[in-house]
Amino acid sequence: MDLQNLFDMSSLFLQQLVNGLTVGGVYALIAVGYTMVYGVIELINFAHGEIYMFGAFITFHLITVYKVPFFVAALVAVAACAVIGILLDIVAYRPLRNAPRLAALITAIGMSIFFQNLALIKWGAQIKSYPLEALPPFFSDVAVRIGDVQVTWLQVFILATTLLLMFALHTIIHRTKVGAAMRAIAQDKRAAALMGINVNRVISFTFALGSSLGAVAGILVGVFYNAIWPTMGYIAGIKAFAAAVLGGIGSVPGAMLGGVVLGVAEVFGAGYLSSQYRDGIAYAVMILVIVFKPSGLLGKAMIQKV
Amino acid sequence: MRKSLIWTAALVCLVGSAAWAGDTIKIPVASPFTGPLASFGEGVKNGALLKAEEINAAGGINGKKVEILLEDELCDPKEAANVATKLAGDKDVAVVVGHLCSSASLAAAPIYKDAKLPAISPASTNPNLCKSSPYYFRNVYKDDFQGAFLARYVDEALGWKKIAIFYETNDYSIGLKNAFVAEAKKRGLRILGEEAYTSDTTDFTPQLSKFKMMKPDAIFIPGYAPQGTLIVSQAAKLGMKVGFFGADGLDDDVMLKNKDAEGLFVTTPFLPDAAGPEAQGFIKAYKAKYGVEPNWFAANTYDAVGLAAQAIAKAGLDRQKVRDYLASLNSPDKAYKGVTGATYFDKNGDCLKAAFIKEIRGGKWVSAKKQIQ
Repeated sequence: MDLQNLFDMSSLFLQQLVNGLTVGGVYALIAVGYTMVYGVIELINFAHGEIYMFGAFITFHLITVYKVPFFVAALVAVAACAVIGILLDIVAYRPLRNAPRLAALITAIGMSIFFQNLALIKWGAQIKSYPLEALPPFFSDVAVRIGDVQVTWLQVFILATTLLLMFALHTIIHRTKVGAAMRAIAQDKRAAALMGINVNRVISFTFALGSSLGAVAGILVGVFYNAIWPTMGYIAGIKAFAAAVLGGIGSVPGAMLGGVVLGVAEVFGAGYLSSQYRDGIAYAVMILVIVFKPSGLLGKAMIQKV
Repeated sequence: MRKSLIWTAALVCLVGSAAWAGDTIKIPVASPFTGPLASFGEGVKNGALLKAEEINAAGGINGKKVEILLEDELCDPKEAANVATKLAGDKDVAVVVGHLCSSASLAAAPIYKDAKLPAISPASTNPNLCKSSPYYFRNVYKDDFQGAFLARYVDEALGWKKIAIFYETNDYSIGLKNAFVAEAKKRGLRILGEEAYTSDTTDFTPQLSKFKMMKPDAIFIPGYAPQGTLIVSQAAKLGMKVGFFGADGLDDDVMLKNKDAEGLFVTTPFLPDAAGPEAQGFIKAYKAKYGVEPNWFAANTYDAVGLAAQAIAKAGLDRQKVRDYLASLNSPDKAYKGVTGATYFDKNGDCLKAAFIKEIRGGKWVSAKKQIQ
């Protein structure tokens, strides 16, 4: 009986860990978008959550209206979101590049509300779900089963996609020319421009990269929970922003770590403490980290540029 | 999220009140018409408009046409209070039909009470609502009845003995859960665990994983359909094989699109195929106008608007007199006879109505094979 109990407890722990990593991986994907944009232009792009929502909805639209196969629809949606990200920067943020930072921040909030309402008009307020027959059937098959714990291929797919994209992102930032340019701009925009870096082009690239990752997260979540709605980006965006802050805003590995920590904290909070206060627990973890390490888990304490 | 919805709501309200006409009798209907629970509001709107159309075709109320004002409050208590304040200040309004969600009704109740404005809720089932105000009535059963009814049904008809409860942190869900638990304990059913979620939750796997270890016969979801459909899907993804049942908040067609919801049992105040002869005309007219069968929101709102119209016809547009008239319908022989049966009020403004059980079979709502009284 006691052994059975122990077995039950540990398999519950394992199951919760898998749940937490799935949620956390998604937060991480969104969080790197916040952190990269912050890194290059010191703007918190509050419309980023809506890009995530667009990723889910454009895929939905392509699947249901044009009967496009799932993976093709997803790729097109990711590309479309990259373009939306670039346009968002050109139309809304670029004109304000030298304006006070508050102006750009308010614009970001405005764009977020604008995108939400655009989606409300286009797709309506009700929850939509991807038609099951359009999704790859192996998604719902069980990949691993240990006792009572089971992990579906979809969860494996989400975790694998997240890891793969994180690895790709790391390679882009540290092994390519444009990555070096991004890092240079993050350090000093003016000096980077003087060195012959086309700053605006690199910023566009950053938006495209962050937006595509956000779109992937939106699609994965849409498939996993089988529900998408126009305001889904709001809560997810806030959580991912918290994850970026937790990891150290401006730090890409920090955003990844922050996302996973926040996701796991949330699930364990709901699973072991109180399900009513799951968000409260997640934010409490964030506040605790910030109190003791204001620059975040992996952020570097930097002297404020004057 | 809320901000954008507020603008939508404001716009709807503006358009609603702009339809001003001198010689009509305004009956406001307050409910969510947009937002996550918009599909509940659809039935409310259809039922109200059909009844108004029929009243007007028969000559209106004492020769005046009825005009339905649709007031959108998104099932949000804050919005409901705004709508209530607006209606309380409108001198042409003598009675309100609404609200739908219990939390919205409870937020609006003190405002109507201060303005001495009577309200009839077609759908709020929280036990405390009508007790809290002499101006609040409802033509739907209460959750202490519904919760106990469900416990009896689960015990007698389904034989489920070990139950886990997954409720939302709102007045409707908590009231229903408490009533269910009280009756279940009396009957010796085992409540293995209670977990809560908030309305903006999308990930239910931590709580469901906990339930999975408890091995319940069934999970009770006393919440609303948008979350209900996610819960049953996520349980299936976790490989759980349990029964599911809920109350009238899950009675929505969004559940039918979910293959994991097959076999779900819910209570409902109105079943087209179990309805009496007085409802047949309504069901036919509704189908002809909207192309679908009326759900319980439509039927109850249809009756609530009828009740409001009758009260105005008898008592005029004086708020206090309308309230007194409604309160005087206090015995079976004075009852308002509508499509959902006879409605008469006790001293609180509550009423006794029958509950029915329906289930999803083959992707359709059908009345459960076994009904209990």
